[in-house]
Amino acid sequence: MTINRREFMKATTLSVAALSVPAIASRAFAASGPLIFAAAGTVTSSWDPTSHTVAPQITAEGFLFGHLTKCPMTEANPGEILPDLATEWSVIDEHTLEYKLRQGVTFHDGQPFTAADVKATYEYASNPDRPASAWYPGRVDVEIIDDHTVRLNTKQYGYPALNFWYVSSFLPILSAADIANPDMLKQRPNGTGPFRYVETTGDQIRFAAFDKFHEGKPSIEEVIWAYVPDANTRVLGLLNGQYHLTERLEPEQYLSLQKEASLKTDRSLSSENKYLHFRCNKPPFDDPRIRLAVCHSIDRSQVLEIVGEAGQASNCHLSPVKFGFTDVKTYPEYDPEKAQALLAEAGFPNGQGLPEIEYITSVGFYPKTREYGELITAMLQEQGFPVKLTTLEPAAWEEQLYRRADGQGPGHIIDVGWITGSPEPDLVLRPNYHSQFALVNGISDPQIDESLEKERSATSTEERLKILQEETLPLIAQKAPSISLFSSVFLRAMSAKLEGVQFYPNGPIDLSKATLS
Amino acid sequence: MRASASPALVFLSPDKIKMAFALEFFLRRISQGVLIVLAVAFVIFTLLRIAPGDPTRIILGPMATPSAMEETAQRLGLRDPIPVQFLRYLGDIAKGDFGNSFIRGKQGGTTGGSQDAGSAAPVERAAVIELIARALPYTLLLAACGFLLACLVSIPLGILAGVRNRGWPQKTALYLSSFFVSLPNVWVGIVLIYLLSARTGWLPAIGYQHIGYVIIPAIVVAVELAPVMIRSISVAVAGNVQEPFYEIGQVRGLSARAMLFRHVLRNAAVPLLNSFGAQMIGMLLGGLFVVEYIFSFPGIGLLTINAVFQRDFPVIQTVAIFASTVLVFINIAVDFASTTIDRRLKF
Repeated sequence: MTINRREFMKATTLSVAALSVPAIASRAFAASGPLIFAAAGTVTSSWDPTSHTVAPQITAEGFLFGHLTKCPMTEANPGEILPDLATEWSVIDEHTLEYKLRQGVTFHDGQPFTAADVKATYEYASNPDRPASAWYPGRVDVEIIDDHTVRLNTKQYGYPALNFWYVSSFLPILSAADIANPDMLKQRPNGTGPFRYVETTGDQIRFAAFDKFHEGKPSIEEVIWAYVPDANTRVLGLLNGQYHLTERLEPEQYLSLQKEASLKTDRSLSSENKYLHFRCNKPPFDDPRIRLAVCHSIDRSQVLEIVGEAGQASNCHLSPVKFGFTDVKTYPEYDPEKAQALLAEAGFPNGQGLPEIEYITSVGFYPKTREYGELITAMLQEQGFPVKLTTLEPAAWEEQLYRRADGQGPGHIIDVGWITGSPEPDLVLRPNYHSQFALVNGISDPQIDESLEKERSATSTEERLKILQEETLPLIAQKAPSISLFSSVFLRAMSAKLEGVQFYPNGPIDLSKATLS
Repeated sequence: MRASASPALVFLSPDKIKMAFALEFFLRRISQGVLIVLAVAFVIFTLLRIAPGDPTRIILGPMATPSAMEETAQRLGLRDPIPVQFLRYLGDIAKGDFGNSFIRGKQGGTTGGSQDAGSAAPVERAAVIELIARALPYTLLLAACGFLLACLVSIPLGILAGVRNRGWPQKTALYLSSFFVSLPNVWVGIVLIYLLSARTGWLPAIGYQHIGYVIIPAIVVAVELAPVMIRSISVAVAGNVQEPFYEIGQVRGLSARAMLFRHVLRNAAVPLLNSFGAQMIGMLLGGLFVVEYIFSFPGIGLLTINAVFQRDFPVIQTVAIFASTVLVFINIAVDFASTTIDRRLKF
């Protein structure tokens, strides 16, 4: 076949064009500029922190809002409280806490931070008709002593003010002017945090460094929150330099990213425990012996092997970074003989006569739930429990999780993680184990209720710690309305050029002192 | 001409006959198409409401009270019987109102979880049409680039393989097609991002900042389309090349190239068009969804997949209706074009 000049020119032009394509795609996208955070979740359509309880938005609010105090929540010292917007705090009496506020703090809109803002925030947000009032121990009256001193007063509401001791590190401080204008509150966040909100475009939220931040303007000028639901995409974006920080890695991704020279990984204990909740208000798990028999049939060390880097062993219904955590000596261990003895005592020797038990778990949200779900099902079947495993995608699972209006929930065993901010243990214990709430397992046990009231009414932190560690947590372990399988470990990765990041165990990320070279 | 042509047509000019045919064709096919789209809409509508996964739970978040959930469900009209809901939905569509997202707010937040009665009001949620309008250009860009890339590879290879039925062109076509069709597009996407972007930094990969971001996703789409195209083209061309007219034309003095481009390809075009309309648009649509998700490419596919995860019924329904409408239209257009190219055909 002969080639003429026209065809030769055509072919050459095409190949040159093809070869110069990479030039279009130079590494401009990896140049210095904003820090891009690939997030696994994203925010709701209201910026009012009191209107929601979703974890990703709590993480986003961590960039924007300040709190009275800060709790780093480390395993070594879970109860540590550091100053943030408050410089000093003290117990005045059983129903009164006093906070001295920091001077010279401004909101993103330029208004000064004063006691009036604390009063407006706490009184607004603790109102029971606010959806997130569940985070507050109850309503509270705030007395303004002067522009920089407040007193939290709970006398009218019948519980000790000490219940705010840790929670004050979790509750975001809003501006009184915004609270007076709720539409403003919803539209854009206005806080005292290191970054201020700029705008939202599609799945990306832009934050800019706040130059009047009271700890000094952050060195990172701009942070972009990019919502990337797929874990693989987050990792690939890190590898090609498009993202600088990401969260919620799978254990295998964490291990392979550790070998990357351009990346750093971070592994830290979270405030989340993974639970198997029993539906305690219907057979067969209305009988505590059968619940305990299940607990003794599960070898948690094998579950931990499956979960790998994403879990840490703990014998407690609280995570080790929560105040009150203790290694409960009487926590149910793997003991098939005991399981059989309990089953026989309950009238179901070898599990004969038990109704079919449905074990519901989600896939694609927590790591390895399908894998250890199959393992646990096999372990239970080995002891004679007729267990059927149902795996659902997150939306379907979430619908089945909570008890419905008639007090019942589907299935008999359901897998869930419970994560809370601040070291405050009641954020875990009351919603799950107090008969007034028992959101998932429906337990109604007067002894547990009594113990929860007792620890909540303690008048000193030392006394409260003692009650929790010696009475409440062992009691919950003994009654087993749920079993905590392990404590979750958050696996994250970031560019090796990112220094000075601090992570909180419930998700928020402190970039105020971070640098990205 | 059909044997059953009415006597009146005998007195009309050829142009008027053509127009009458076209009119009858379009009226018939469009009314069939409307029925198909309605049926698809009803099936999707019902399945969404029967399958487990309550949007009110997702809208209101984990700590919602059962009464708040009931109230929201009532307000969104989710407690009425399904046929009632569907008729109401059709009524809204007739007015051009495709509803508001259950989940996405005007400001762009993309999950529910806000239990605020105020912000759960539909007026604050983004209109589905706007969401789709914003995402559509990206999907069209990706589809066009992927399709063009597929053509660039498939047409030369397919024609060569069809004309030379033995030897390397035919073998290459066969092996390449088999190879590509065996690769799952999810895997191809991830591997290409890893090789072409993460490891080497040659190309950008995730999201969209400028036109360069289309390249790798378009390659993945092309990999999925190419096997079908190569096969169809080579079979159609080979079939025609084996007909007597091909050699006879050359004996009569027409060059092989003239035979190819003027006659063979025109004959081959009809089955190709059909394959395009029926198979490839469907494959393209399906493939696009997955590709956009992996690449976080801000098109309709990503919008829809996120909508499925979040049980955002209005978005899912609207995309289903639009997608089936597009498919029906393309099939009608393809069939009409076929009758123009080959006058023996009557659809």
